[in-house]
Amino acid sequence: MSDGTRDILLVEDSDPIRTAFTILLEDAGYHVRGAGTGGEALRLATERLPDLVILDMGLPDMTGIQVVQRLKADPVTASAPVVALTGRDEDRDRRACFAAGCAAYWVKPVDTHRLVEAIPGFMAGEPQGIGNRE
Amino acid sequence: MDDLRLFLLGDHATAERLRKVLDREGFRVVDAPPEGTPAIVLEVDGTEPSPLREAAARVEELERSVLELRNLDVAKSQFLTNVSHELRTPLTAIVTYGEILRDGLLGEISERQRDAIESMIGSCRQLLAMIEEILTYARSSATIIDIRPVEFSMAGMVTEVRRMNESLLSRKQLDFSVEIPADLPDAWADPDKVAHVLRNLFGNAIKFTSERGRLRVVARRAPGQPGWLQVEVADSGIGIDPEHHELIFREFAQVDASRARVHHGTGLGLSIARRFVELHGGRIWVESTLGEGSRFFFTLPSVHAARPVAGAAQEAPPRE
Repeated sequence: MSDGTRDILLVEDSDPIRTAFTILLEDAGYHVRGAGTGGEALRLATERLPDLVILDMGLPDMTGIQVVQRLKADPVTASAPVVALTGRDEDRDRRACFAAGCAAYWVKPVDTHRLVEAIPGFMAGEPQGIGNRE
Repeated sequence: MDDLRLFLLGDHATAERLRKVLDREGFRVVDAPPEGTPAIVLEVDGTEPSPLREAAARVEELERSVLELRNLDVAKSQFLTNVSHELRTPLTAIVTYGEILRDGLLGEISERQRDAIESMIGSCRQLLAMIEEILTYARSSATIIDIRPVEFSMAGMVTEVRRMNESLLSRKQLDFSVEIPADLPDAWADPDKVAHVLRNLFGNAIKFTSERGRLRVVARRAPGQPGWLQVEVADSGIGIDPEHHELIFREFAQVDASRARVHHGTGLGLSIARRFVELHGGRIWVESTLGEGSRFFFTLPSVHAARPVAGAAQEAPPRE
């Protein structure tokens, strides 16, 4: 953002959850762009590089893994850190997320304080493997 | 098995069915008895009901039933997994909005409003914990759970699980003590599974102990079992009638309806705990008298336990 406000791309297909997180993240001082589908997320990320992508793994048009893979494969968007936010607390999904290049894996519902506190670290590209279930 | 040769005669369809079954069982079925090879000739009559034909049909029928049951079990687990995931989405919205309201992001709130919202969030998290239990159960009964053993200290594990329950412990003002000798050998077990067992035992101990009660965790060398550890979680709570000491480790069991009313739960926690302990070759049990608290015990291999040699798991022939 030109005014120095950090930009978060929030990809989540549930409207109530997207709205709730938007309120939360805006309150924490971030600019939030919301996307309800993987296609929209990729378009918005290419349009302007976000400082962080918070990505729901279950989207209607493609899997979250596919979205991460495409973001990481495109030199324009590869540098944006991606945090998985998911309803699936399964080891297999966790491993797949990290393998695709996610910086962290958060299982919903997250403690909103902890998530907000962790965001600067994600944006600074701190070590992988952080989440709320480890 | 392959030197027993059978020669099937008679009605083609029946012979084929029988051949399929025998093939699968490892018999060699030949079309004609080769020279000099001992063979049993079975005559399958196409018109007369023969015991052999009936047996073959019965075997097939049973195999079909087993397959159907297995598919049903997988389907049931898959269904539970899907439902659990689906339930998380609306609950996430409720919890997140609750926290937004509680923290005043949408405007100032009064102390009473805050308490009400706090209760709402707490109840939601309780519901989520139950969903997670169902999910764990579905996963553990689906097929295989892999145990990934590593070395870790029981003291560290107990501290971690205690930390997760800190707010509950202090809310109920429970007197909590830990007794773990400094020279206790490290455990050789899957830390996720052991944490799950401990969380469950802690949770029950807290749940069934009234305010200002006592909770004690002890880890020691398992008496009479060299190389093994014994962990004890003891509380001064309501206790369990001896006639229910087995029942509580069974699926979906809660001791009585009155208890279930006060203490909500899926009744799966202890059966999952038992499954996880038994996967390590250990044992879990309870010693308790009604009204006099409970002592739950489980055993785990330590780093000094005799470990199965690498590859031992492959000794048993794979089963189809």
